[in-house]
Amino acid sequence: MASSSGDRVDPAAGLGLRPVRERFAAEVSEDARLVGDARAGDRAAFGRLYDRYARMVHGVLLAKVPVGDVDDLVQDVFLLALRRLSTLREPGSFGAWLAAIARNQANDYHRRSVPEDQLTDDASENESEFSNVSGDRPSGDRPSGDDSSSAVAILDAIRTLPDAYRETLILRLVEGMTGPEIAARTGLTHGSVRVNLHRGMQQLRAKLNPGDSPIEETQ
Amino acid sequence: MDTGNDETENEARARGDDYLWDGSGEPDPEIQRLEDLLGKFRHDRPAPVFPEPNLPEIVPDRDSRDRDRRGTFFPQWMRSFPVLATTAAAVVTIAVVTFLVYGKKPATTIVAGWDVSRVAGSPRIGLRAIDWKEGARRFAIGQTLETDAQSRAHLEADDTGKIEVDPSTRLRLLTMAAGGLKRIALDRGTIHAYIWAPAGQFVVDTPSATTVDLGCAYTLQVDDSGAGLVRTSLGWVGFKLNGHEAFIPAGAACATRPKVGPGTPYFEDASSNFRAALARFDFEDTPQQRAADLATVLGEARKADALTLWHLLTRVDDEGQRVLVYDRLRELAPPPASVTKDGILRLDQPMLDRWWNELGFDDISVWRHWERTWAGEATPVQQK
Repeated sequence: MASSSGDRVDPAAGLGLRPVRERFAAEVSEDARLVGDARAGDRAAFGRLYDRYARMVHGVLLAKVPVGDVDDLVQDVFLLALRRLSTLREPGSFGAWLAAIARNQANDYHRRSVPEDQLTDDASENESEFSNVSGDRPSGDRPSGDDSSSAVAILDAIRTLPDAYRETLILRLVEGMTGPEIAARTGLTHGSVRVNLHRGMQQLRAKLNPGDSPIEETQ
Repeated sequence: MDTGNDETENEARARGDDYLWDGSGEPDPEIQRLEDLLGKFRHDRPAPVFPEPNLPEIVPDRDSRDRDRRGTFFPQWMRSFPVLATTAAAVVTIAVVTFLVYGKKPATTIVAGWDVSRVAGSPRIGLRAIDWKEGARRFAIGQTLETDAQSRAHLEADDTGKIEVDPSTRLRLLTMAAGGLKRIALDRGTIHAYIWAPAGQFVVDTPSATTVDLGCAYTLQVDDSGAGLVRTSLGWVGFKLNGHEAFIPAGAACATRPKVGPGTPYFEDASSNFRAALARFDFEDTPQQRAADLATVLGEARKADALTLWHLLTRVDDEGQRVLVYDRLRELAPPPASVTKDGILRLDQPMLDRWWNELGFDDISVWRHWERTWAGEATPVQQK
């Protein structure tokens, strides 16, 4: 469905509505400690938070913003977060708070520059966009022409899915995060992430292999 | 979401989604292929250098100290004279400024409110216009912000979010509690809100309903009659008046009318027949016409329109209509096993909530928490 299922878990987590799984409790308290240190002016602590959360922020942005602009926006999100760190009331909810900032930045990006329907750029535009991005990467990492256009087409297909599915799928398939990691970083529950992955993957398979299975209606 | 999604989660488990979930279990070749292809877009940049709060002290190097020594023939005590004079002047200046600023009036306190900046024209706070030369001005509790047909304004509050104010809009700031309710009245016009405060803390009263932010971004319009429309672009929004409530997820909209309250939310890509019949059902129909329009809505409903049908369960006129809605909703989005037909027909709230959670929007407990915490404080205000 066109929703961001569980997008706003930050408050719920803060209110104790969504218990965090035990295995990530240590990470949450570590986050809280790093947030405290960063607030006290420890830039290294903020750097650790960046290392932990950069992939999540990158994935959230990639779900909505053209590939070539994502890296710059990742930096913008972290700089904004650094500036506003003192307003975060629940240091343990840093991930959900940061995800909300990233979504807002993506939203601002479209208000400032391109209409929404340019999100799903056509393959040729993405081709050049991709080549720009991959310019920073080792040449061995660069996909061949066919792979590049397939990757772009798949990314475009994911971007047509409802918000909750596209973000979760990008975090899993692009950023290489596991479901439990996605839950820990975004503040979503394990159940929400598992359901989003399952339903999102179903819809993506239907889009990529239209002949193989009946196309599910978008929820 | 945990409870409501249990069955779907179990279903995902049963279908062998372990590899998709955490990379365990039997590898799925299609997912592996997608990982290989899409991994090229993965984030791979190291952390940038974040700005330091204070610049490190600059210690002159030995060469420059030597250069200083060689470059002058004044004795040591005379060379320090300019430094002493500058320091003394600075101390005197600080003392005078401190006296002028704090000596005649009480210490300044930060006024709770929003920072308003002009985007176009001359928006006004009270009677005073914000002109193009001004930076941000404070919009404080009790004040009115108004834009004319040529004006636009931008509001921002660090711990709450930001609001774009369209032309011909009037807003009043009612409360701005740190860590609590932030409440604005939209008397007329259009605002676009992007909120990062915790869900349930940002509330906009309109003449016909209270809008509660449960997500990130939405547009709210109110016309001169007090009728309103909310359109959600990210997250979700709650609409409430006199116990009549509506939840509007991203991609959906909901109209509201004075004295009636929120209508039934719908996805904006629903068929035009569906939307027209729903609008008549909500605001225009006689009881006989409502039955016909309900039939149109149920007939035209797609799977996504479970959103609308779930709301209709509590809005139909009688049990006969409720059975029709239940049957159609069950076809489109089967309820979890713990939800029974009897329970839904008698409008059992926990069952309705569990079915909502199963629809995959968001966890309704966030809204229930808001109701317990703030609802009494956030009743709609009268139009001025």
